[in-house]
Amino acid sequence: MQEYIVEMEHINKTFPGVKALDDVSFNLKSGEVHALLGENGAGKSTLMKVLSGVYTADSGEIKIFGDTVTELTPKKAQQLGVAIIHQELNLCPHLSVAENIFLGREITKMGILSSKEMSKEAKCILDKLNIDISPDEIVGNLPVSKQQLVEIAKALSTNSRILIMDEPTSALSEKEIDDLFKIIRKLKGEGCGIIYISHRLEELQHIVDRVTIMRDGRYITTMNYAETTLQEIISNMVGREIKQKFPRVNVKRGEKIFEVKNLNAGRLVRNINFELYEGEILGIAGLMGAGRTETTRAIFGAEPKESGEIILDGKSVTINKPIDAINAGIVLVPEDRKRDGLCTKLSVRENIALPNLDFLSKSCGIVDENEEKAIANKMVKDLKIKLPDIDVVTDSLSGGNQQKVVVSKWLARNSRVVIFDEPTRGIDVAAKVEIYNLMNDLKKQGIGVIFVSSEMPEILGMSDRILVMCNGRITGELDIEHATQNMIMEYATKFEK
Amino acid sequence: MKKRDDKNILRKIMAIRGMGQVITVAFGLVVLCIVFGILNPVFFSNRNIANLLRQIAPILIIGIGQSYVLITGNIDLSIGSVVGMSCMVSATMMTKGVNPWVAVLITYICCLAIGIINGQLVANCKLPPFIATLGTMTIARGIAQIVNNNYNTDSIGAAAKGFRDFFYYGKNFGVFNTIWIAAVLWIIFNFILNKTRTGRYIYAIGSNIEAARLSGVNIAHITTTAYVVSSFCSCTVGLITCAISGMGTMDAGNGYEMYAVAASVIGGVSTLGGQGILLGTVIGASIWGVLQNGLQFAGAPVAIRNIAIGVIVVVSVLLDVIIRKGRPIRKKKNITTVNKAEIKA
Repeated sequence: MQEYIVEMEHINKTFPGVKALDDVSFNLKSGEVHALLGENGAGKSTLMKVLSGVYTADSGEIKIFGDTVTELTPKKAQQLGVAIIHQELNLCPHLSVAENIFLGREITKMGILSSKEMSKEAKCILDKLNIDISPDEIVGNLPVSKQQLVEIAKALSTNSRILIMDEPTSALSEKEIDDLFKIIRKLKGEGCGIIYISHRLEELQHIVDRVTIMRDGRYITTMNYAETTLQEIISNMVGREIKQKFPRVNVKRGEKIFEVKNLNAGRLVRNINFELYEGEILGIAGLMGAGRTETTRAIFGAEPKESGEIILDGKSVTINKPIDAINAGIVLVPEDRKRDGLCTKLSVRENIALPNLDFLSKSCGIVDENEEKAIANKMVKDLKIKLPDIDVVTDSLSGGNQQKVVVSKWLARNSRVVIFDEPTRGIDVAAKVEIYNLMNDLKKQGIGVIFVSSEMPEILGMSDRILVMCNGRITGELDIEHATQNMIMEYATKFEK
Repeated sequence: MKKRDDKNILRKIMAIRGMGQVITVAFGLVVLCIVFGILNPVFFSNRNIANLLRQIAPILIIGIGQSYVLITGNIDLSIGSVVGMSCMVSATMMTKGVNPWVAVLITYICCLAIGIINGQLVANCKLPPFIATLGTMTIARGIAQIVNNNYNTDSIGAAAKGFRDFFYYGKNFGVFNTIWIAAVLWIIFNFILNKTRTGRYIYAIGSNIEAARLSGVNIAHITTTAYVVSSFCSCTVGLITCAISGMGTMDAGNGYEMYAVAASVIGGVSTLGGQGILLGTVIGASIWGVLQNGLQFAGAPVAIRNIAIGVIVVVSVLLDVIIRKGRPIRKKKNITTVNKAEIKA
């Protein structure tokens, strides 16, 4: 009988407005690889942050190596042997491998760094893992896969026995994944416990002993991998009932208005082809990092394209910069409103007017303030944006109202295609419904709507047709009549070789 | 009834963004004037006031330029050197017998070229503005030195009397021309900043460059415009400097870029971009001028004046930060980094 090295019991964690973890239990045995699975926002990362001391649980008990731990801090967790290997690497790229491994606990002699010793020690650790990297190599010169191995070496050098790997294979090639798995098996043999978070379900078979599935912040089930099937895992991941009603309207599908052909732009936009019809909402589903945002940004001209053709109303249009797309009648409501959508120090009126100053200006580029106010007031009224007046700074608005301001920036002008990237993220239900209604209005006007979302219920509830992306490719197209959550999840985890 | 109207107007004025700090600083300016007035009654004499305004005008002009650049979220360190370059280039030509007005025109062209280079380096080549304008600062100073073979020029002569009157010595409606120039430039640039698309884009870039880009704003074009405005203002001040002394001096305008930053930030322009109004720059430049003038009257040496201005700059920005955020800026930074870490993970 293997013993438990981590036991988390009845963990609860609430963030303002969201119950992130609801009575979640999780355990890890020594010498096992335990996969933690779930959709985006299922609570996996939050749970791991509780284990590594980044967040403090509201209630619940954590035992590490059988001892109950209270007041866990990142430092304490590290001392107890918990190490996270992040998706984004936490290494200093300008320092050497050895310097990174010993960062914060350098070996010194009378206050002077003894580089030789550290280099030797680092070599030992790397050799033990069969990692072929020189300890004196500058980390920034290594490929990402090797950097990841350095991070693992760093974790092990502090005698960590509990390793949390968050999407470790997302940036690796086949060969590199194999190498990583060899190392994981070796660690397993030495009695380390590994918590493995991944969206690539088919790779689990090579290493995983048990799986725990989470959904919407709740614990669903734990199964022995050998006794389950991929189908069972998927249905447990998505198995929620869709209770919420979506205000779908049916519009007869019209002419083809928009088409993307062979679009390529970086690793996450590979050979994208799709069409969009008048009066249609085209959903784009997928997991985080599937390349949906990158695709919309490439279409909009926010990122450079390698190749591809964009056809609007039968005519090929050249889009190199956002302004080209705007002039052609393609607009993008970006995903991250604070980063890409709003000038937070400017007023609601100024933000709404910003992309529309071309038709809001008189001769000599003088802004027509009356027009500007009229449009802002109309938008505030149409979208039911709650604010004291249109001159208030957008910084002071709630998330939902900010989102509506971002949306209204783009609705103030006549467009042919409107792309919404995660338009309902982080806003309350009432505001969500207003955004849905708005998309319906556009649909009724014959405008083509592209709707990117990570939330399956809303994508199933609002779209007329769904594209599923995975790893930069379109892996499936679903008719709304036949689409199910399971099908979307299957396509969303279909990593093509 | 009338009282209520007054109240509404007041509320309207207060509603203008950044007005809060401008009023705070204006209050400080009034206090300073009263203190200096008590210390030395001559401070309020007509002659001194005219003098004082003539001292403030050049600082206000370069302050306008720097404010434009700061609002886009950048900085222009080349201002002082462009002042020197403008002074030397125009004076050299005039001593060589070029018609003063032709000389002025050529000088403007040379200086605007520096502004265009600054804008292109920052917006298209993506150089950090600090480095890019540090480079052009050194280059412009070098040009100032080389145009007359590393000597200050001789007197620009009697032919340039019209030029000197236009930029400094002449009066219109009883007010010195320098003050008129500053006022006219202020009105024009304030109008552009508040009423035109260009002005709006300048704020948008400073507030969130990515949102502005995705809204179809031509970042390179607008950034360059701001730098060109700054160079135009510096050039004008260089011509004024030349008019004052009647000759070209190679180290004219030394350190002016920092005076321009001081005038802007005392008046509430944020060095992080997106915030500030040119009315604030007027107050900021005035505080600078009043301190210089008042301390000079009080017999304080230059060193003390420099220290006083340095203290005022730090205190005024600190006050603003504390009033607005209720805490020093460091704490806020920490919070945002934590948030970023959370979002990343």
